[in-house]
Amino acid sequence: MKYIPNTDNEKKGMLKEIGVSSFNELIKDIPENIRLKRALSIPGPFDEEEIKERVYLIAGKNVNFFSFKPLIGAGAYRHYIPEVIKAIVSREEFYTSYTPYQPEISQGNLQSMFELQTHLAKLTGMDVVVPSLYDGASAVAEAVLMAVRITHKNRIIVSSLVHPHYREVITTYTEPHDIEIIELPFDKGCTDFSDLKNQLNANTAAVVVQSPNFFGGIENIAAIASEIHDTGALLIHSIAESISLGLLTAPADMGVDIVAGESQSFGMDLNFGGPYNGYLATKTRFLRQLPGRIAGETVDKNGKRAFVMTMRAREQDIRREKATSNICSNHALNIVAANVYLSLLGKNGLYQVALLNTKAAHYLKRKFAETNNFEVFEYPFFNEFVVKSKIDISEVKNRLSRKSFIPPLRVDRFYKKCENYLLFTVTEIFKREELDKIIEILGVSR
Amino acid sequence: MKLIYEKSVEGRKGYFLREDPYKEISLKDCIPEYALSRTKKELPEVSEVDVVRHFTVLSKLNYGFDDGFYPLGSCTMKYNPKLNEHLALLDNFIYAHPCVDEDFVQGSLQIIYELNQYLSEITGMDQFTLSPAAGAHGELTGVLIMRKYFMDRGELRHKMLIPDSAHGTNPASAAMADFNVVEVKSNKRGGIDLVELHKLMDEDTVGLMLTNPNTVGLFDENIEEIAKVVHSKGGLLYYDGANLNALLGIARPGDAGFDIAHLNLHKTFSTPHGGGGPGAGPVGVKKHLVRYLPTPIVSYNGEKYFFEEVGEKSIGRLSAFFGNFSVLLKAYVWILSMGDEGLKETAKTSIINANYVMSKLKKFYKPVYDRFCMHECVLTGREYKKYGVKTLDIAKRLMDYGFHPPTIYFPHFEPYAEETIMIEPTESESKENIDLFIDTMIKIAEEIKAHPEIVKQAPHITPISRPDEVRAARNPTLIFKEINENR
Ligand SMILES: Cc1ncc(COP(=O)(O)O)c(C=O)c1O
Repeated sequence: MKYIPNTDNEKKGMLKEIGVSSFNELIKDIPENIRLKRALSIPGPFDEEEIKERVYLIAGKNVNFFSFKPLIGAGAYRHYIPEVIKAIVSREEFYTSYTPYQPEISQGNLQSMFELQTHLAKLTGMDVVVPSLYDGASAVAEAVLMAVRITHKNRIIVSSLVHPHYREVITTYTEPHDIEIIELPFDKGCTDFSDLKNQLNANTAAVVVQSPNFFGGIENIAAIASEIHDTGALLIHSIAESISLGLLTAPADMGVDIVAGESQSFGMDLNFGGPYNGYLATKTRFLRQLPGRIAGETVDKNGKRAFVMTMRAREQDIRREKATSNICSNHALNIVAANVYLSLLGKNGLYQVALLNTKAAHYLKRKFAETNNFEVFEYPFFNEFVVKSKIDISEVKNRLSRKSFIPPLRVDRFYKKCENYLLFTVTEIFKREELDKIIEILGVSR
Repeated sequence: MKLIYEKSVEGRKGYFLREDPYKEISLKDCIPEYALSRTKKELPEVSEVDVVRHFTVLSKLNYGFDDGFYPLGSCTMKYNPKLNEHLALLDNFIYAHPCVDEDFVQGSLQIIYELNQYLSEITGMDQFTLSPAAGAHGELTGVLIMRKYFMDRGELRHKMLIPDSAHGTNPASAAMADFNVVEVKSNKRGGIDLVELHKLMDEDTVGLMLTNPNTVGLFDENIEEIAKVVHSKGGLLYYDGANLNALLGIARPGDAGFDIAHLNLHKTFSTPHGGGGPGAGPVGVKKHLVRYLPTPIVSYNGEKYFFEEVGEKSIGRLSAFFGNFSVLLKAYVWILSMGDEGLKETAKTSIINANYVMSKLKKFYKPVYDRFCMHECVLTGREYKKYGVKTLDIAKRLMDYGFHPPTIYFPHFEPYAEETIMIEPTESESKENIDLFIDTMIKIAEEIKAHPEIVKQAPHITPISRPDEVRAARNPTLIFKEINENR
């Protein structure tokens, strides 16, 4: 049988050595009543070639995504992924290993965790980092639970420009815990903080702001930090597009207490939504409330540098129901991907990619402003921006997909009142000529 | 080994990107001053060659399944077929954006839809959600469903029963749904103590989270009675499917009275562990719970696959998008490779392999329960304590012989399971590799008697040995800091 080395003869011999005459003697504990006495109705077994043909056929029912460049982002970004990353993450030592419970034969994974922790600390200005949670949504939900534990308060104020799916996940995670969630409205492309003072009270655990926000807008986080801290609440900064950190002020320098990020942009495929990789970064004083695995440096018995999983007394296998979270497996292989990506790009490369993103997006927006077909809005943004379309949205979709572009997000999918608004995302994968072509396609009236 | 930061040379580059073609746009006009970082972030500066060498050397400090026997109990370290990896990297899949219109992604949706059907058939559940990202994420989904179910019936229930042998994620997940965890003791045959279950199960109890085969590798023979007790008080029975490998095609949790089940595709369904993830933890439910599933699910109308919201009773959303698609795809491919026949053979072989190990080793390492086991056997290192050797030492010594150690100290519950060694050979291991492992375990038992120091000081040939974990936790160094901080 495929993937099963032992032959029937060998199995027979093993049964004999076990001291039974048939396999059935080994499974006597399974009551007859609940045994499955028929074949499962599933396809297969197929040989390798048959499977390839089948799956290629299914893959062919998707559009030819490679040549369709997406003008859509909304929490999932197509950036260029250098070949080095695939070469490294496809090494069996990385992808076929387990959680590094045995540090002696897991230094590769452990050091890689430690290195990504350092990269993310440099990008965010924070002291401690959890390098992997499932995704940006679960990261921000965990950050909210963490803030509730730290402050012993239960009111959470969330910007309505936090990714709508992230907000839904926050709701799912907090629902059992008697946590009150208040939303702040938005004005044009940024959160309207004018009511924040009124909403903040002695019972507020945290304020959650995403920046760049769902509309790509860059929030003035530093401006709200002190009023939040004055009430004893924490400031949680959600980041869906981490490339922005190549250019933007480190969250720690803006008064942020907890960064809850998504690192998909650091070398991870779109993959129809996953696996991506969440992370948390915070101050040392909150270390003991962090969920998930953290690597630390130590020495081995001979004094040699070594890395281990540490601060383990927070985790489920030790603390059970008193753990800071139930997370066990995380998205470890994506730690390696993000680490390789950030190491390779380095100080100058990440800056350059971030620069190209923001300039390309601003270029397109300026061009839109020159056409009659789109209303543009003045707000600071990174690589995504909202426009109001004067042409029919389905027409926009058709024109773009005919020319092999994936159309932008319809904002009314998430914000019902924003009919005819589109969220354009422009990353470094677009050449200037392609952006000109998009203007050509959409700028004409018919 | 040196960190990538210690290899950094000012001005060195590993990545070359075209010149800025938008010179006429100034950065200051794009990003307001308050948001613009005044300096570039201090990432390392290394070349592509530096990076490739660095990570290649790092990889060699790791031990993967492809390096050798990996009998890590409860983790089902089976072979990760190369075919699956190849198919999961097809352009049309990896470049698929999660927010596009359904007509762009009919292929991806078909995979999700069909996998849902296969998993339902394999487990006897009625409908799955594929969005949980791991086993524990699936557990969270499950306990939230249980919570919603009772709320919907206007019942407030507070307690969740969890066996003392359960994995740590079970109680941790129950706590995330704000349930009070009540431990159920194991009996002396290794199953749930029925007398205690009867006592504990009441109308304030949500239900029981059960792993079956359980974490001592035994199938709880009283499963029908257990289900009856839980259901008789209106409770729900939750299946932790981490150990489904032993049951594939032989028995289905859905036929054994379970209402909810999570699976670990990164165990039973051959998807790689990736050094601790990403996996996938789909959750299946019976009909009466379908309306509580997380949103969205994929449906098919005979022509087109499409997303469907679950409705107002749904527990809501669990992931930013639809879960770990590429992992789902690998599991899908594995199921096609195996078919019914292959799944049955998988279960059977994994059970034979584990019993073979137990029968050969039980004289040397006393089993927690001396009965035939399912897909894994749980032995102990207790009797070597008198030589001053701990179970940990035995595990470390195995590395010197080229094996990944089994799971140790889990499960742990008194008075039965202490100093445990949990061995899961899976169906992937050949008899001669298993024999080599058995011989090595016996050899270590002899070493302990003759030269305990060798074992206590092990491992001897690994890149590092016995890192100081106490120091790591007492003086946490969690990021690299240049010696000269004031640049
Ligand atoms: C019995 C059992 N339950 C649950 C889990 C948790 O699964 P995951 O690590 O995918 O969250 C594990 C994994 O180790 C397990 O062995």
